[in-house]
Amino acid sequence: MLEKGFILSHPLGRLIENESGEEIMPQGGFGAILARAGVGKTAILIQIAIHGLLSGKNVLHISLNDPVKKVGLWYKEVYRNIAFQNKIADQEQIFDSMLPHRFIMTFEVEGFSVPKLEERLTDLMEQNIFRPQLILIDGLPFDEPQKASLSDLKSFAKKHSLNIWFTVRIHRDELPVTDVIPAMLNDVEDLFETAISIQPEGKEIYLKVLKGGKSDSGASGLSLDPTTMLINQNGWIKPA
Amino acid sequence: MKDNTSRVRNIGISAHIDSGKTTLTERILFYTKRIHAIHDVKGKDGVGATMDSMELEKERGITIASAATFCEWLDHEINIIDTPGHVDFTIEVERSLRVLDGAVLVLCSVGGVQSQSITVDQQMKRYKVPCLAFINKCDRSGANPDRVIKQLKEKLGHNAVSLQLPIGLEADFSGVIDLLSMKAVYFDGKNGEIIRTEDIPESLKDEAARKREELIDTASIFSDELTEAILEEKEISESLIIAALRNGTLSRKITPVLLGSAYKNKGVQLLLDAVTRLLPCPSDIENEALDMDNEETPVILTADPKQPLVALAFKLEEGQYGQLTYIRVYQGTLAKGDTIINVRTGRKVKVGRVVRMHANQMEEIESIPGGYIGALFGIDCASGDTFVSQGISYTMTSMYVPKPVISLAIAPKDSKSETNISKALNRFTKEDPTFKTYVSEETGDTIISGMGELHLEVYIERMRREYNAEVSAGKPKVAYRETITRKAEFNYTHKKQTGGAGQYGRIAGYLEPAEEDFIFDNQVRGGSIPTQYIPACEKGFRNCLAKGPKMEFPVTGIKVVINDGASHAVDSSEMAFQAAARGAFLEGYAKAKPTIHEPIMKVVVETPTEFQGSVMGSLNQRRGIIFGTQDEGPMCVIEAQIPLAEMFGYSTVLRSLTQGKAQFTMEFATYKQIPQSVAEELEKKYSEEKKNSQKR
Repeated sequence: MLEKGFILSHPLGRLIENESGEEIMPQGGFGAILARAGVGKTAILIQIAIHGLLSGKNVLHISLNDPVKKVGLWYKEVYRNIAFQNKIADQEQIFDSMLPHRFIMTFEVEGFSVPKLEERLTDLMEQNIFRPQLILIDGLPFDEPQKASLSDLKSFAKKHSLNIWFTVRIHRDELPVTDVIPAMLNDVEDLFETAISIQPEGKEIYLKVLKGGKSDSGASGLSLDPTTMLINQNGWIKPA
Repeated sequence: MKDNTSRVRNIGISAHIDSGKTTLTERILFYTKRIHAIHDVKGKDGVGATMDSMELEKERGITIASAATFCEWLDHEINIIDTPGHVDFTIEVERSLRVLDGAVLVLCSVGGVQSQSITVDQQMKRYKVPCLAFINKCDRSGANPDRVIKQLKEKLGHNAVSLQLPIGLEADFSGVIDLLSMKAVYFDGKNGEIIRTEDIPESLKDEAARKREELIDTASIFSDELTEAILEEKEISESLIIAALRNGTLSRKITPVLLGSAYKNKGVQLLLDAVTRLLPCPSDIENEALDMDNEETPVILTADPKQPLVALAFKLEEGQYGQLTYIRVYQGTLAKGDTIINVRTGRKVKVGRVVRMHANQMEEIESIPGGYIGALFGIDCASGDTFVSQGISYTMTSMYVPKPVISLAIAPKDSKSETNISKALNRFTKEDPTFKTYVSEETGDTIISGMGELHLEVYIERMRREYNAEVSAGKPKVAYRETITRKAEFNYTHKKQTGGAGQYGRIAGYLEPAEEDFIFDNQVRGGSIPTQYIPACEKGFRNCLAKGPKMEFPVTGIKVVINDGASHAVDSSEMAFQAAARGAFLEGYAKAKPTIHEPIMKVVVETPTEFQGSVMGSLNQRRGIIFGTQDEGPMCVIEAQIPLAEMFGYSTVLRSLTQGKAQFTMEFATYKQIPQSVAEELEKKYSEEKKNSQKR
């Protein structure tokens, strides 16, 4: 769309796309970003969203933690850092052009349910206000039973040909995180095509693909810059 | 008046519409014995709340102009500014916050933190005003103070800590537990004036102990003494907690929360206690002025009454006896008979009557010492002017004043109204810096402009009521702007030799888009344009900005660089270079791809969730970008940015879509380029109008 070179070269491609730039996840696919609190789940989620927006997708961001304003600020901050690192010209203009393709919905955790979300989305789609192609759900409590509602959501995602990414907060008692999907997801693991964990090791924060993704990207050394929470430059793949 | 400013509190009461702040103020005045009967807003007795001094406010049940008043509580003098709740009048709120030392943020226990509370909170942040929160209407069905405290934390980022626990809620709300004294407090008597203190009911003891623990824990961060007492397991005195809470409040790191129902006369006295104990006195706040004689170096002011005077006129009102100027004295003393200087005009002014106000009644006083708020009679000034003693030239930092975004033409219906309108406009523009008026050069119409439809409507209504001026108003017009989108060069020669003295001037350079409204950069080297003509060039360019060549809207965001030119020993003159600049501007502008920008408003709609879909549809139809929706139990908040041009009459649309259950606020966000299709339509309309006016 706007900065094709930038999108192609974005390190996220290494995790979520194949060689020809197509998403690895099938339509209706689920992805999970796993980490304990405060390690950078939301930052990664927003990088996935910006990557989607720059690829011309409509992105629906659902937050069960933060108000709309705060989510908006997250986007501004992450985008500003990306633009600064990549010396993007006309950064304001590009950001403004992304806004009509992004929709933020926030719910109180206790007030959130899949039927409610479906109702809201149907409202948006029927009136032609917004038709998402990528959904991000931040803050869904996976320590509560979610199998039934996630299965419903999966059918919804398949029906509307969209992908959904979740953040999954891992509890301290699940630590240390190894290279396998934590037990709290056992119940719903089969619904997820991709799972990426964020693992702090010393002063570094690494991204590890626990499930799905490209075969060569396993513990590929993709890391996060702890100050900007962006995926580090040294993990980038340059376009051919 | 108190000699010691440590017993003075200058506070504002800010909130969302209908949170009950006027009722709260009314009760405060009653308990402090400033008034002897209670009249409710929209009350059946038709008297209206005392603070709503304007007839119009009484009728609409909203507060428009801030009325200043004072009262005494526990040997403290409290000056209160009642502030309006609607976003269209936020300049009033901003001005009040500028002169206040502390504020009470009133929140509805049902509605919680609503959109206007967020705006007001941002304003408080801007002026670093410490505040308390009062969760009102705890007697209402659906009251949930815990939810409101949670919203204070999450939505506004306050470190909110409750000082009280409600005893019952909704219809059962009977009093509060004071977590400082650990007593249950009830409000008896016809108007809740008799305070009865009892032991905490058994059923609430555990919860109260837990909440007190939380309170002490939060407060301990602000006091080493308190932390020590906790660690050493000593008995924790009330005064120790209060001192810690006060420290936290003054640094805006903590927001103490009180509960009550002003309408049901519950909790107001405890709020007053908290105001005197926790909010700052004038000397707790550092106020800065700018020294005009010393390149505007900031100077710290002290509330010392013996220092030279520095005072700020923050509000003007036309009263029965002439212009009334509300003034805050920051330093020195302002006394009857003094000669003071208006820093803006440099004029000397003799102080006549000095009064302190109680809504629309007043009390004569001799002087206003530093730290106090009072009012003066017969002073000719504009709001925002600084007054000082002779010998110093300080100005209080200027207040943030947003530019008007909407305008409409008005005309008197009869000849008598004509004079009255001009009187009214003269007063309104002095009182309110966001309200502007001018006469259109082409049509000869009187144009008024302001911050929103309601803002202008209220002034038209006030002209009718207060000045007996019948006004017919035209359709509102949006304040569009023109700007350029790319760099373009110009090289223009103005030559006129048709007998008499000739005119000659050549200017070359380029135009380019800029962040600021207008930048003029002279890069002429070697005297190709003589230095004495450079100001004329700048003036020529500047004169072109008022009416853009594309559609006659003001031009902004433009940089003019001149780098070459030529002059003639005899025929060049200032006039010739002004004309050359005009020609150069037109030449460059045409090549610089000019566009039209329109004001975009941030619109926040609060609606019951069942209407969410239709409300979003209505916003979407208005060329809006919906940023998001926030589900909050039974209510949903929708945030969007919408061009002002599409928002006319939206309140009626929203009312009919939601059975009157939704409300919205709107404030200016930014200017953005209009889409091509809209631009074409505008151009068509513009050329038609031009054709029509030429025919006439």
